[in-house]
Amino acid sequence: MTNAARTGQTLLIVASTMLFAAFTSALVARRAGGDFGDTPLPVWLWASAPLALAASWAVERGFTRSAAAAGAALTASQLFYLGSLHIAQVDQAFRSVFVGAHAAHAAAGACALLLHGRSARLFWHFAGGLWIYVLALLGVWT
Amino acid sequence: MHLAIAIASLATACVLLFVQPRWWLPEAISAHARAYDAQLHVTLWVIGVLFAAAQGLLAFAVFRFRDRGQTPSATAGNHRLELVWTSVTAVAFLGLAIAGQGIWAAVHLQGAPNPLRVEVLAKQFAWSYRYAGPDGVFSAVEVKSIDDAGGNPFGVVDAKSDDIVTALLHVPAGRAVELRLKSRDVIHNFFVRELRIKQDVVPGMTIPLRFQAEKTGRYEIPCSELCGLGHHQMRSALVVMGAGEFEAWLREQQSR
Amino acid sequence: MKWFSTDHKVIGKQYIGLSLFAVLMGMVLSLLMRFHLVYPDTKVPLFQALWPEGAPGGVMTPELYLSLMTMHGTIMVFFVLTTAPQSGFGNCFLPPQIGAHDMAFPVLNMLSFWTTALSFAVLLMAFVVEGGAPLSGWTAYPPLSGLGKITGPGQGLGQDLWLVSIALFCAASLMAAINFITTVIELRAPDMGYFDMPLTAWAWFVTALISLFAFGVLLAGGILLLLDRNLNTAFFVPGGLIVNDRVEPRSGGSPILFQHLFWFFGHPEVYIAILPGMGVVSTVLSTFSGKKVFGYRAMAYALLAIGGLGFLVWGHHMFISGINPYSTIAFSVLTLAIGVPSAIKTFNWIATIWGGRLRFTAAMHYALGFVSLFITGGITGLVLGQPGLDLYFHDTYFVVAHFHLIMGVAAIFAIFAALHYWFPRMYGRTMNETLGKVHFYLTFAGVYALFVPMHFAGIAGNPRRYPDFKEYEFLQSLLPLHKGMTHAAYFLAAVQLLFLYNYFRSKRNGAEARGDVWGAGTREWRDD
Repeated sequence: MTNAARTGQTLLIVASTMLFAAFTSALVARRAGGDFGDTPLPVWLWASAPLALAASWAVERGFTRSAAAAGAALTASQLFYLGSLHIAQVDQAFRSVFVGAHAAHAAAGACALLLHGRSARLFWHFAGGLWIYVLALLGVWT
Repeated sequence: MHLAIAIASLATACVLLFVQPRWWLPEAISAHARAYDAQLHVTLWVIGVLFAAAQGLLAFAVFRFRDRGQTPSATAGNHRLELVWTSVTAVAFLGLAIAGQGIWAAVHLQGAPNPLRVEVLAKQFAWSYRYAGPDGVFSAVEVKSIDDAGGNPFGVVDAKSDDIVTALLHVPAGRAVELRLKSRDVIHNFFVRELRIKQDVVPGMTIPLRFQAEKTGRYEIPCSELCGLGHHQMRSALVVMGAGEFEAWLREQQSR
Repeated sequence: MKWFSTDHKVIGKQYIGLSLFAVLMGMVLSLLMRFHLVYPDTKVPLFQALWPEGAPGGVMTPELYLSLMTMHGTIMVFFVLTTAPQSGFGNCFLPPQIGAHDMAFPVLNMLSFWTTALSFAVLLMAFVVEGGAPLSGWTAYPPLSGLGKITGPGQGLGQDLWLVSIALFCAASLMAAINFITTVIELRAPDMGYFDMPLTAWAWFVTALISLFAFGVLLAGGILLLLDRNLNTAFFVPGGLIVNDRVEPRSGGSPILFQHLFWFFGHPEVYIAILPGMGVVSTVLSTFSGKKVFGYRAMAYALLAIGGLGFLVWGHHMFISGINPYSTIAFSVLTLAIGVPSAIKTFNWIATIWGGRLRFTAAMHYALGFVSLFITGGITGLVLGQPGLDLYFHDTYFVVAHFHLIMGVAAIFAIFAALHYWFPRMYGRTMNETLGKVHFYLTFAGVYALFVPMHFAGIAGNPRRYPDFKEYEFLQSLLPLHKGMTHAAYFLAAVQLLFLYNYFRSKRNGAEARGDVWGAGTREWRDD
C-alpha cells in the first residue's frame, strides 16, 4: 500500500481507538456503581472470534473478497445480536453500544476491502483485533 | 500610529475601569469571603500589571516600528530571552496557582467540628431545606412519600417526624454550617454571592458544602446551573440571624 | 462551481462559505438574545410571526430564549470556529504551502465538507420541528438533556436532531483530521522538512492532531446520550429522579460522566478553534514586519505544547461540578501551566514586530488586534483557572466575557486577517484596504465596549443563561450595564455590513492582483 494509505489508516485507527477508549472508560466507571447485571453472551456470538481471525488471515493471503464476505457475515451476526437484545440491564446497554459501534467498523472495513483490496488490510486487522477486545471486555471481564 | 493609540487607549480604559472605586463585588459576610476577596485582588493586580505591560509593549512596538523607511532587523530569535521570559511566566503563573489553593482547601478539604447540618433539596424550580429537629436526627425519606403540595418535598416517611422543612435557608451567624445538597431531577447550582461559595447540585449525589456566615441579613440564592425554562426564577434566600434569634425561630418552627 | 469537486481550493471555499452563512445566523441569534435580556416584556410582532408558540403576543418565552442561546453557541463553536479557520483556509493553503498539489485524500475531503453541510442542515431542522430547538445549552448536560421532552420544550425531537447533527460533525471532523495529518506527513515536497513549514502549516497540523484525539470522545458521549434518550439506557441517569411529578424508574447512571466525556473533547476544541488563527497571525505579522517570525522553533513547540497540554485540563470546566476536590487542584496547576506556551507565543509575536518595518495593511491591523484581544481574553484565564476563585465566577458572565473575547473575537479577527491576506490568492483581487481598516477600528472598539464591561456583570455575580433579570433586584440594578452591552452588540452587527460589502464587492470589482502581492515569500503565492 502507499505511504498515504498506511498513514491514513493508522490515523483512522487512532480515532477509532479514542471512541472505544471513551466507551471503555464509561463502562469502567459505570461498573463500579454496582447493579451491573451478569447476562452471559450468547454462545454463538463467540464463534465470531475465529471468524474475525480467519478474515485477517484471508486478507494476508490475498483473498480479499472472501475476507470481505467474512466481514459482512460478522456485521450481519452483530446486527442480528443487536436485534435480539432487550436492554433491561446495564451490561446489555453497554453491549448495544460496543457491538453497534463495532458493526459499523466491520461494515466499513468490508467495504474498504472491496474497494481497495489489500491496501485496506491495516484497518481490517485493527477491526478484527478490536472485535476480540470487545468480546473479551463484554464476555469475560464484565 | 492610529493603531498604537487605539490599543493604548483601550488598554488604559480597561485598567481604569478595573481600579475605579465603584466596585461590583457584593459585600463579604464571612471570613472565607474576605479571604476570597484578598486572593481576587492579588490576582487582579498581577493580571493587571501583566495586561498593562503586554498591551503597552504591543502599542509601543506598533508605534515605534511603523514604516519610516528603516531596514528591518534580521533577528529571528534569542534563546536566552526565550528562556528568561518563559521561566518568569512559569513562576508567576504557577505561583498564582499555588497561592489560590488555600481558599479552595478551606471550603472543600477542611471542616469545622459540630456544624449545623441542613439538607438542601433542589428541583425544577424551587429550593427546600430540612433541619433535623430536637432529636438531632434526620428522619428517613423515601420517594413514595414525597408530597410537594402537602409540604413534604423531601419525602419524610414518618408523619410525626420532628424534622423542620422550610423554603428559605435560616442559619445562625457565627456558627459553622454544613449543607448537604441534593437534586431531585436535573443539575442545579447553589450560590450565595456574599459568601463567595457555589456548588453544583447533582442528582444521584449528596454533596457537602460548608460555610460560616458572620453578618445577619437576607442574601439571594440564584440557581446557577441551567436547569430548564424556570432557571432564572429558581430563587431562594439565605437568612442569617443572631444566635438567639435563630434558636427562637427553630422553636417556633418545631411547634408547627 | 462544481458542487462535488474534489479540488482542495474549491472545498476550502465551500467551508468558508458555510461558515460565513453560519456566523451571520449566529450573530442574528445573539442580537435576539441581547434584545430580550434588556427588553423582556416588549412586544415584537416579528417574534410572533416567526415563533407563534415560542413568542405568543410577540414576547419571547424563556424557553425560546434558551433555545436561541443553545443554537447560537452550537452554531458559532462548531460551524464557524471549527470550519473556516481549519478546513476553510487550511484546505485552500496547506497543500501549496508545503509543496503538495492537493490534499492526500481528495474524495474524502469532498465527503468531509458535505457531511459538515449535512450536519448543519440537521441542526437547523431543530428550529422547525415540534417543540423547537433544544434549550440545554451547547453543553447539553444530562439529565436536563437526557430525559426527553419532560424536562422542557425543545428537549424532545429538537435535542435528538441536535445530537445527530453533532455526531455527523464528529465524523466529518475526523475525516478532515485524517486528511490534514496524512497530507503533512506524506505530501511535503522533498525540500520541505517539518521545521521548514510555515507556522500556518504547523498550526493546521497540530489542530488536526487535536481533532483526531478529541472528536471520538465527543462522539462517544453523544451516542450514549442518544441511547439514554431513546433506548431507555441509564448511562447518565441516576436513580430516584422525579421530573415534572413523574418518577423516573431508571438508575445507576452519572451525570458527571457526561461532563467528563464532553469536556475531554470540549477543552481541546477551544484550541482547535484558536490554533489556526495563531498560525495566520504569525504569518501576517512576519510578512508585514519584513522579518522572520521570532523564535520559529519555540513557536512550533508552543503549538505542540498547547495541543498536548490541552488534553489534560478539561477538569477546569468542572471545578464546581462535584468531582473530587483534590483532582481540581491538579487540573488547576495544569491549566495555569498551559498559560505558559500561550504567553510565549504572545511575547514572540511582539518580538516579531520589534525592530521590524511595519506596513499597516488591513490584514496587519487584524493580526495586531488579535494579539491585543488574545492578551485581554487570555489574561482572565488566570482568574478562572484557580478553583478557589472559580467558586464565585463559575456560570457567571465573567466566564462568558472570557470565552467570547478569545473565541468570539480574537479567533474571528484572525479570520478577518486571513481573508484580507489571502483574498488575492483566492480571487485574484484585493479587498479594499481603507474599508478594511475602518471596519477594523469600529469592530475593535465595539468588541471592547461589549465584552469588557461584561466582566463586571460577572463580578456582581450575574448568573449565565438567564432569559431575563426580572426576578432579582441585584440583576435589575445591572440593567444599565446590560443595555450598554446590547447597544454595543447592535453597533457591532451594523459595522459588519462594511465587511460584507467589502468582501462581496471586491470579489467582483476589487483591484486585480497577481503573484506574491504582499511579499510573503511562502509557497502558496507562487504561480507554478
